[in-house]
Amino acid sequence: MLSKDEKNIARECIAMALEAGAGKARVSMSRNEMSIVATLDGEVDKVTSCLDRSISLNIFADGRYGSFSTNKLDRASLQSFISGAVETTRMLAADEFRDLPDPARYAKDALTGDELGIADPSYSGVTPGFRSRMAVENALHTDRGEGWKLVSQEGEYSDSDYSNFVLDSQGLEALHHETSFEFFTELTIEDSSGHKFSGGWWEASPLLKDFHPEKVAEAALREAVMQIGPGACRSGKYKLVIDSEVSSKVVSPILNALNAFSIQQGNSFLVDSAGKRIFPSGLTILDIPRTPGEACGKLFDSEGVATSNHAIIENGVVKEYFVNTYMANKLGTAPTAEDAVRPSVLPYLPSGTAPEGPFGREEIMKLCGDGILVTDFCGGNCNQATGAFSYAIQGYRFKDGRICRPVREMLITGDIVSLWSGLIAAGNDARRCRAKLTPTLAFDNVDFSG
Amino acid sequence: MKVANEFFDRFSVSLPQLENLVAEGLKGGGDWCDLFFEDTFYSELVLRDAEVNSGGSHIDFGCGVRVLKGEKTGYAYAESTEPSALLAAARAASAIGSAPAARLAASSSKPVSGTATRPVPGSYYPAKEDWRTAESSRFIPALRKLDALIRGRDGSVHKVIAMLSYSVTDVLMYNSLGELSADTRPLGSISVTTIFIRNGSTEMSTASRSFRCGPEMISDALLEEIADSAVKGMDERFDARRPKGGKMNVVMAAGASGILLHEAMGHAFEADFIRKGQSIFTGKLGERVARKGINIVDDATIPGNRGSLNVDDEGVPGQKTCMVRDGILESYLHDRISAGCFGLPSTGNGRRESFRYNPIPRMRCTYMENGTDGTVQDIIADVRKGIFVEEFSNGEVKIGEGDFTFYVKSGRLIENGRLTMPVKDINIVGNGPRALSDIVAVASDLKIDNGTWTCGKEQSAPVGCGIPSVLVKGLTVGGE
Repeated sequence: MLSKDEKNIARECIAMALEAGAGKARVSMSRNEMSIVATLDGEVDKVTSCLDRSISLNIFADGRYGSFSTNKLDRASLQSFISGAVETTRMLAADEFRDLPDPARYAKDALTGDELGIADPSYSGVTPGFRSRMAVENALHTDRGEGWKLVSQEGEYSDSDYSNFVLDSQGLEALHHETSFEFFTELTIEDSSGHKFSGGWWEASPLLKDFHPEKVAEAALREAVMQIGPGACRSGKYKLVIDSEVSSKVVSPILNALNAFSIQQGNSFLVDSAGKRIFPSGLTILDIPRTPGEACGKLFDSEGVATSNHAIIENGVVKEYFVNTYMANKLGTAPTAEDAVRPSVLPYLPSGTAPEGPFGREEIMKLCGDGILVTDFCGGNCNQATGAFSYAIQGYRFKDGRICRPVREMLITGDIVSLWSGLIAAGNDARRCRAKLTPTLAFDNVDFSG
Repeated sequence: MKVANEFFDRFSVSLPQLENLVAEGLKGGGDWCDLFFEDTFYSELVLRDAEVNSGGSHIDFGCGVRVLKGEKTGYAYAESTEPSALLAAARAASAIGSAPAARLAASSSKPVSGTATRPVPGSYYPAKEDWRTAESSRFIPALRKLDALIRGRDGSVHKVIAMLSYSVTDVLMYNSLGELSADTRPLGSISVTTIFIRNGSTEMSTASRSFRCGPEMISDALLEEIADSAVKGMDERFDARRPKGGKMNVVMAAGASGILLHEAMGHAFEADFIRKGQSIFTGKLGERVARKGINIVDDATIPGNRGSLNVDDEGVPGQKTCMVRDGILESYLHDRISAGCFGLPSTGNGRRESFRYNPIPRMRCTYMENGTDGTVQDIIADVRKGIFVEEFSNGEVKIGEGDFTFYVKSGRLIENGRLTMPVKDINIVGNGPRALSDIVAVASDLKIDNGTWTCGKEQSAPVGCGIPSVLVKGLTVGGE
């Protein structure tokens, strides 16, 4: 957590900027303490200990704007750096649309940083011994099975304590504090023919009491073993089921295309979509940054503006673009959210009713009958201007709702709006530890090449 | 290597202090300790809507301390060079010394210095002027000119976003063998994104150039070259379609297609993946991996190249490493840890994003040398049905399996030995070792691409790539 002295340094930076000639200024001070214990084949392989502190400055001077950062935080260095920053800003072209937000929009409830309850008070008591035990004890303790042997296993336990203090010359002061406990495993196995397959899994939680890394290595192994004996399917149209772990791949292009900067530049396939039904009625995406106790929540954005729980897309209708203060001034519209902080895709069934009980990839494969389940993407691209995408996939052919065999070296192609128009179902299995709460998704009539 | 006092002054340290820190790092029982001091100044200017109206500068300063015990690593860093902060980092890193016994015997795991035979550090950054002392306002006209050049070339240009970014990094390194080295690394880049609108359709292009040199890189000729690249092929792109997908022969154009070597093969040659048994090329040293006549190198010595290094981030001089010679796998890419593991000298591939990271084997500028199969036209003429790819992006590889993917930015169908319909929005997938062995023709038109290539293996690092035109049999192309 930021100390009183560190917060005072941030406040002094505002004063220094104004003294150097800035009309307005915003400062963001971050502090991140992190420890990592990595293992290789179950033994401690690397221990890392670090503390990062940095100051970011937005300078508004003579109708001009610049952004700067430094991690030299002694007062003499800051004084010199900030004077130079104001000078640099003054040589840029004027931009009448740059400004601090309306103070009425500031977060007024981020006073201690702990309001969301995602900073574990026990963090300071975490010991090096505990970290090593977490890393070693959660490693896989077997090296072979039926038809495979372990080639290598890498694991990593890490924890961090992050705080961020945002303040500006209009009186904004907002504080965010969160801790994180994470564990991941990546392993490589070899089948009896010498072919290698890799698998990975991870768990994370802001609070130690909710952190459960015990099954991570098993899940990584399961993923690797299931890939033994892959092949490609015949090219054609299939039902596509995307596992919740990777389904953000087809949600992120929508969120990127809603950014007002992309809209203004004409680099978005969602230009002129606000208020219109672009997607099927089964698609609703909410932003829920203010849920207490949940990872990645935030009470304010990078401008210090209060976040809110609200709809981004509701029953297929685009409810908003992401418009920060600058873009609002430039486009002559009201500002909205700067970005989606914690977007959540709501469950959907063809019947239009909410699923009762668990509704994840097994249930969705049963609903679809035949198709291809995608569990990983390996490269690819989405053209933000047109929405056309092409992604390489890894996953499984399934028939009658059951997995038959692994597939790889296949590609899916299409465009994002058409893909979503074929939405069959959205599950309720989004992983809470992820920033984007995207569940297992199913789509009809998708082009596969292999 | 003689290290100028200015480096000691910049970091406010002295040689005796470095010796004491290394001794402190080794107190826990480690058998190697190195220090990496870094001072990076980074600045950017951005043109949007025809005005250079945003920009800024950034400072990153600190010191990383690494302690090794066998192959095990203890790592810590300080964001200041105050003696107390450095001491705390050395003590934190030294904790690895108490880890259980290393897998290798100390003698074989001890990093190899190669002092007797190591090459002399080069001078591969032809910087006449230091970016740090140049007034940034003088670069503003160049961005405005680039905007005008692009708009002047194509009436359908809707928006131009152009960015000049530049950095200078001072590094000072010291290790427990008593080796002291230093480097000043300039890097300048111009990149531009252009949006075109024609008859209600939108297309986007990106173009960039990046060099390890000073502000003198900004010339009229360079701006003209970038402007040409920004609008190149746009007529075809508006007409381009997705082809029918499936297995096809792929002709890769000289230059930017070299990213295929980086992703599909180069990563699998990095010796950390070999040391851990993860790479599909593990145990294949000395074996044929490509047809006779094919040479693939990783080179830190090309003057001004984005991937060039006078010394790597472990103080090993920059060098040119031949990975595949005449089709035979000759060398992996080593940092000191993997070199120690294999009992070889480091190949100078120990690189890190910043003082916050420990070094790992990374590529520099990876390319294939010229072949003897004539021109690209000769190669295309021999293809009955396939795809000619001019530019790739968004490459990715799975190291264990060797599977790779690339997005095709621009290309054309090949039908009966002739280029026909422009294609877009497709990917190519394949398997690295298989694709390498399926390269059946190599032209003699090697081109190093000077785009802003950045490798993202755990940490980001600037790299270069290049290739002559080549024909690869039977890759999977995604389409309708």
